[in-house]
Amino acid sequence: MSEFIINAEHQPPREVNRTIKKAATKNDKITIKNPNAMHYLAAGLIDPIELIIEGSAGYFAGTMIHGAKIHIKENAGWFPADNMTEGEVIIDGSAGDGVGQGIYGGTVVVKRDVGSRTGEIMKNGTIIVGGNSGFMSGLFMMGGRIIVLGDISDDAGESIIRGAIYVKGNIKSLGKNAKIEKLTIQDENELKELLPSYGFNLEEHDYNSFKKIVPRFNRPFYGKDSEEG
Amino acid sequence: MCGIAGVVFKDKKLHPVGDNLTNMLDALQHRGPDSAGYAIYGGLGLEENEYLLNIEVKEKQGLLESVKKTVNIATPIKKEEIIPSVENYIIYRCKIELNTFSKLKPLIMDIDKIKDVMVLNGAHSFEMIKDIGLVKDIASRYDTQSKMGTHGIGHTRFSTESLVDRYHAHPFQSYIIPDITVVHNGQITNYWKIRDPLERKGHIFETNNDTECIVHYIADKLSKGYGLEEALEQSVKDMDGPFSYIVGTPDGVGIAKDQLGLRPGVMAENNEVFAIASEEVSLREVMDTHDIDQISPGETRAYTI
Repeated sequence: MSEFIINAEHQPPREVNRTIKKAATKNDKITIKNPNAMHYLAAGLIDPIELIIEGSAGYFAGTMIHGAKIHIKENAGWFPADNMTEGEVIIDGSAGDGVGQGIYGGTVVVKRDVGSRTGEIMKNGTIIVGGNSGFMSGLFMMGGRIIVLGDISDDAGESIIRGAIYVKGNIKSLGKNAKIEKLTIQDENELKELLPSYGFNLEEHDYNSFKKIVPRFNRPFYGKDSEEG
Repeated sequence: MCGIAGVVFKDKKLHPVGDNLTNMLDALQHRGPDSAGYAIYGGLGLEENEYLLNIEVKEKQGLLESVKKTVNIATPIKKEEIIPSVENYIIYRCKIELNTFSKLKPLIMDIDKIKDVMVLNGAHSFEMIKDIGLVKDIASRYDTQSKMGTHGIGHTRFSTESLVDRYHAHPFQSYIIPDITVVHNGQITNYWKIRDPLERKGHIFETNNDTECIVHYIADKLSKGYGLEEALEQSVKDMDGPFSYIVGTPDGVGIAKDQLGLRPGVMAENNEVFAIASEEVSLREVMDTHDIDQISPGETRAYTI
C-alpha cells in the first residue's frame, strides 16, 4: 500500500486538487496536512482511494466524488459530499448546511451537529448525523435515508417525495408532505447493523426511540393531497 | 456573497484587533474582492465629546481647504492626518470637539454639500476604516495591523445592488445613537417596508443600500431601550430575505441570521475570545478551536463586555 502526503498550506484549492488527482492514480492513500478549512477539497475525485484530511475542510468537501473514502478529522463547511455518486465521507466534528446535498449513493457520516437542509434533493445513499440536524432536513428528498441520532429541527422532510428520515431525538415539526410512521423490524435491523459500523454503539432500548419520517404521498400536488386530489 | 467577521476580547483590555480582523477578513477574501472595511472599538482614546471624522476628498486644487474651512466654522480642528487612497482621492482625518452628539450629523451633512467630498463616518469610540480594493492592500494603506481595540467587526464585499465605492463599503454607521455599525452579507427584500417607518421618524438615509437600512433599524431599537440581543431577535422577525449581519456597538458585537438560514454564519468562543464569521477559516485566525457552532436559521448571538 502506497501513501502520499500533501501539505496544503499556502496552496490554492485548484492546485491541491490537481495534486490529489495525480497522486490518486499511483497511491492507495493520500493525507492532506494543513487543510485550514479550504473549500472544494477532493472535488470530482473518481479514484477509489482513502483520503485523510488532517483538520477542517471548507465548502463542498468531496463534491461529486465516485468511490473515494474521505475522512475529515475536524469540521466541514457547507455541502460536504454534494452530489457524491459512490464512496464515503466521514466527518469527526460538525458540519454546515446541506450535508450530502443531492447524493446519488455512498455514505456520509457526521459525528456531531450539522446545519440546515441536510440531504436536500438526495436521490439515494445514506447520511448519518451523530448530533442534531437543522431546519428543513430532507428538503425535497427523493430517495435514500437520513439517520439523526439527536434532534431534528423545524419542517423535517419538507416536500419529501421518497426515502426515509430516522430520528432518535425530538422532531420539532414536520414539513409539507411528511408524516411519521413506526419503524419496521427490517428498518430496526438495518440500523442495528449500520450504526455500530461507524462507531455509534447504542443500547438496545435506544432503538425503540427512533421515529421514521416518510412521504405522505409520492406525487404531491400543491393545494391537494395528491395528483388525484 | 460577502464575508463578515467580528471579534471580542472578553478581558476588556486592548488587543491587536486591527491585525486580527485583517487576518480574519483576508481568509474570507474569496467571498468578495470589491471593498473591505473595519470598525475597531475601544482603542481611539478620545476625550469626552471628541470625535474623529473620516472624509473622502478628491485631489483637486483648494478642495481640502474648503473642507477644513467648513469644519472650522463649526468647531476648531484639533488634530489632522491625510491618508493617500486610490482613484485620485485622499482620506482626510480630523479630530474635533462638539458640545453634544446631536451636532455631529448636521456637521457631516454640511461637509457632504461640498462637491467631490463625502464624510465616510464620524465616531467617538471606534475607528472606521473602509476603502475599495483587497483586504491586504487596504490594511497596508491604513496600517490596520497597528490598531488596538477591545473588539471589532469587518467586511469584505462582493457588490450586488449598489455602487462600488468607499461610502458603500461596509461597515455602515447610524447616527441615531452614537457608534453603531453593521456589516452584512445578503439582501433585505422588504427594504422599503423597513425603511419607510424609520424615515417617518426622521431618520436620514444617505443611500439605497439595505445595510444602511439595517444599521438605522438596530440603532432605532437600541435608542428605545432594546438590548442588543433583543434588537437582533426583533430584526429577524421584521426583515425578509437572505441575510446574516453583524452589529458593532461600544460594548460588544452580535450576529443575526435570516429565518431560512440562507447566508452562512459560524461562531466559536473560549475563555478569552468570542468570534463570529462567515466561515470557519476566518475563526481559525483568532483562536485554536475544534468546536465551531453553526448559527441556525433565525438565530442570533451576541457578546457584550
